Amino acid sequence: MKNKIILFWVIVILTIISIVCISLKPARLGLDLKGGSRIVIEAQTTETIAKITQDMMDALKATIDRRINPQGVAEITIQQIGEKKLLIEIPTDSDLKTVREKLSQTAELEFKKPVLDDKDNILGWESSGLTGSDLERAEEGTDNAGRWQVQLSFNGQGARKFAKLTKEFRGLPIAIYFNGESISEPVVQAEITGGKAEITGSFTREQVKEMVDLLNAGALPVPAKILEENAVSPTLGIDSLNQSKFAGILGLGVVMLFMLFYYRVPGLIADIALIIYSLIVFAIFNVTGVTLTLAGIAGYILSIGMAVDANILIFERTKEELKSGRTLFTAINTGFDRAFTSIFDSNMSTIITCVILYFLGSNIVKGFALTLAVGVLISMFSAITVTKNFMHIMFGTGQLKNPALFGLKEADINDAYQAAETKREKAKFGVLD
Amino acid sequence: MSYSVFDTKKVIDIIKYRWVYLLLSACLLLPGILAMCYSMITYPNHAPLLEGIDFTGGTIIQYSINENIPPQKISEIRTKLVSNGIENPVLQVLKPVTASGENSDKHILSVKLQTTDENRTDCTDTTDKVINEIYPDAQFGQTSSVGAVLGKQLFVNSMIAVSLAILAIIIYLTVRFRFDYALAAFLALIHDVTFVLGVFSILGIFYGVHVDSLFVTAILTVLGYSVNDTIVVFDRIRENVKFYSKKATFNEIINASVNQTLARSVNTSLTTLLILCALYFFGGVTTKDFVLVMILGILIGTYSSIFFASTIVALLNDIKESKKNKTAEI
Repeated sequence: MKNKIILFWVIVILTIISIVCISLKPARLGLDLKGGSRIVIEAQTTETIAKITQDMMDALKATIDRRINPQGVAEITIQQIGEKKLLIEIPTDSDLKTVREKLSQTAELEFKKPVLDDKDNILGWESSGLTGSDLERAEEGTDNAGRWQVQLSFNGQGARKFAKLTKEFRGLPIAIYFNGESISEPVVQAEITGGKAEITGSFTREQVKEMVDLLNAGALPVPAKILEENAVSPTLGIDSLNQSKFAGILGLGVVMLFMLFYYRVPGLIADIALIIYSLIVFAIFNVTGVTLTLAGIAGYILSIGMAVDANILIFERTKEELKSGRTLFTAINTGFDRAFTSIFDSNMSTIITCVILYFLGSNIVKGFALTLAVGVLISMFSAITVTKNFMHIMFGTGQLKNPALFGLKEADINDAYQAAETKREKAKFGVLD
Repeated sequence: MSYSVFDTKKVIDIIKYRWVYLLLSACLLLPGILAMCYSMITYPNHAPLLEGIDFTGGTIIQYSINENIPPQKISEIRTKLVSNGIENPVLQVLKPVTASGENSDKHILSVKLQTTDENRTDCTDTTDKVINEIYPDAQFGQTSSVGAVLGKQLFVNSMIAVSLAILAIIIYLTVRFRFDYALAAFLALIHDVTFVLGVFSILGIFYGVHVDSLFVTAILTVLGYSVNDTIVVFDRIRENVKFYSKKATFNEIINASVNQTLARSVNTSLTTLLILCALYFFGGVTTKDFVLVMILGILIGTYSSIFFASTIVALLNDIKESKKNKTAEI
């Protein structure tokens, strides 16, 4: 019982932390729910690009998407309008300034080789032919001394070029240029054939992250100019959303009442567990900065459904155990154990689905997968830890004296109790009969 | 008294009426399947459902209006546009960001419409008329075509991810249960998703209901719910097989398991449906279709977990048994 009380306080503290998190930082709501900013950009022709083709627009759209939404959960929409414009809508809480910068930034990476005189003095730098287009991907990392660095992996062609470069200039420095600026001039120690390189310097973590995102997104295929910028109201319409908010709260209220009337005291416990569950899930959304859209909320509603389901499964099993005449403590424990396998299997299959959708799906399903996965994980915690703990503290260990607390009738229990009495041996092994 | 659990009130006899339930499933699915076939033949883009603006793109029109645009007005405009035959218009209010950061008193109403090359002028004219009725001094700003949010490539990528997710579920269930359970869960899932797609295909043909990117998410929700619901029933079968396989036949166990989980199946669906019905009847217009998909999904998901999935498990078992008997005879 001592452990149970400690656990109880842990739950209380977790709930308080969640409330603090929610009140300190408002939830990030998506374009459809809260609106945001609408930016229109136009692809520009240059000396080398005389005409903007549809292929260029598609490439521009893809690159911008990767740049301003590298994780795919920022809930940004990009649509082409007319022939050479893109309409970009981003949620309110996004950092507009950064987005603006990212729209115009170039991302040119180039390895330069030294121009040498007879005595190996460096006169200047010239292109080595190894550029950002030879990259497979870039990653953040730290060196042995804990300094932030950009870790590069070249593709096959890039690896060959890099091996040739390092072989030719062994013992000499080479320069790494990013957007026309030399950011590192390492001395080549040995020929590198693995196709991996690191850029080390006195970078901050933010600088490294920015470089990595830009390098992974690639260079813009055509330059683009921002034409207009507006604040924009939600796509789903404020009128509709106010109604839906009211309806959602009404629905949740009805569900709680249903639980209370059908399952009585356990129902009340489930309601409290559900409130704690919602608080924790929302706190996690807030802290991790997930942008909530209607699709995300769908994931959330589904996870509420599953959380309620877990509670219902447990209560139905506990009722069955009580009917067969077990003591409260055993009935609650057995009820949980029996319900656990189905809760575990159904939730695991949901989590597997979410992981695959998150890593392979396009941006429209990522937000949904993330909120559903978080919701399901917390719902398991809520049903198994919170509900069970509250049940034990509330009911203790004796026989069930007042069956009405569980919504059972006296007769249900007595009948079944006698039936179970004849098979005490079996009952010991957890056999339901 | 040896089968006390099996003797308790048997509300549903899955085994006895299994052909009836399978026939009922077929009746539920067939109209939708026919509607999808019809759509694929007759629609110009050969899609089984009417694709909305997120898939096809359309036209964006902007009006500048010299007064504040409150939500009620947006509601009024939306209702009028819909009654004039414009499906799911996306209405947004824009506020220009001025250099000094102040809010200017000029407001822009942005309307996104789903249009085709043929009906573009008709649709823009209708919209013009509606906006001018409500805001006589509204100035027609600019109009241009707008591309799809959910292009073909993105959609195909998402579908590949969904297929892989389903494959992973089959593997997981095969490991945790048995392959025939996994197969039955998979069939139940296809059953549920086909039903919902079918209903929306029918709604598309008769009421011009379009599906957008939210629909894709809603279908994923149906998929998740279907598997979740089926697993709970299967878990009970698995448990009962462990304890009773010597005392009762497999079919008896299936019947008992379905009846034991009945209260839970109904209660879980009921609670989720309560939230969804509140959203459907009292919630906003723009989320109605989305909620409808989930309501249909939960209804059919509950039906299939009780009547379809377990019937399939029983059938698969029968097939296995009869094969075994045949080899035994030989």
